[in-house]
Amino acid sequence: MIITSHLEKIERLNDLRARLDPNDDFELWFWSTMVAGTNAVNAALHHAGITPAESAFPSQPGVYYVPGGSPSDAAGYKPVLKAMGDVLHVGRPPIPVPVPANLQAMMKAMEQIEYFRDPCTRGDMTINADVIGGCESAYQQCLKLLEDVLSARPA
Amino acid sequence: MKVEKHKEKALRIERSLAKCVASDYEIRIEAAMLAATHWTNLAYHAMRVTPDNVDILHSYMLTINEFRRLSAANERLIALLAEIEDLRPIYVRGDLPGGAAIADRAVALLAEIRTIALAAGAG
Repeated sequence: MIITSHLEKIERLNDLRARLDPNDDFELWFWSTMVAGTNAVNAALHHAGITPAESAFPSQPGVYYVPGGSPSDAAGYKPVLKAMGDVLHVGRPPIPVPVPANLQAMMKAMEQIEYFRDPCTRGDMTINADVIGGCESAYQQCLKLLEDVLSARPA
Repeated sequence: MKVEKHKEKALRIERSLAKCVASDYEIRIEAAMLAATHWTNLAYHAMRVTPDNVDILHSYMLTINEFRRLSAANERLIALLAEIEDLRPIYVRGDLPGGAAIADRAVALLAEIRTIALAAGAG
């Protein structure tokens, strides 16, 4: 996806996060946080010239929906194999080239959030102040790092 | 996960989903997927098709063998879940217009899955 679309999604997801209660609505508060953070990582990877900013949307590692042109394609898009593009989650797929330290820090922050994904949304791990606080802190760190990355000159 | 817990989690997610507005379409689609996955697992557990300790994560992560087995048990159920999942690449991870209407579709698919699951759970 292009950087402006990633940023637009982050803005709307932040608006939703503010309307959800981290305790009562943990699953969707968490999911909004994770999706927004992943958009931040993708925007930073595009800005650094590591992954392409383009109209290609991942469905699984290595498979992306791109404009197809056939009426039978889903919304005009069709799945194709592509080596590099947006990540679905940090590590899916792994980035096969060196990544600058600030982007590594963003990914590290997202790994802290991703740790709780399946146990807390699909499983029955106890949701408490430590889990919520840890996710919030990692997410704010991720956003701050994105801000720093975007304020630097593009690669 | 046991059926009671799947139901509790699905209803909890649906309560939060009700707080979302049209412009929250990415999370409405994701919420439909998450709640629908709990309902689908509840239904297959209740039908004795899958045991409590084996949950589906995504339909596309199943082996073809298992997908066909689940389809034989209830084809509509797994097809509905797959239809919600297929909305995600273009509208959650993509930036095509029309996300709000697509999210409405995802929520309607969730409702159909919930109906199947509740019927299976009551059986």
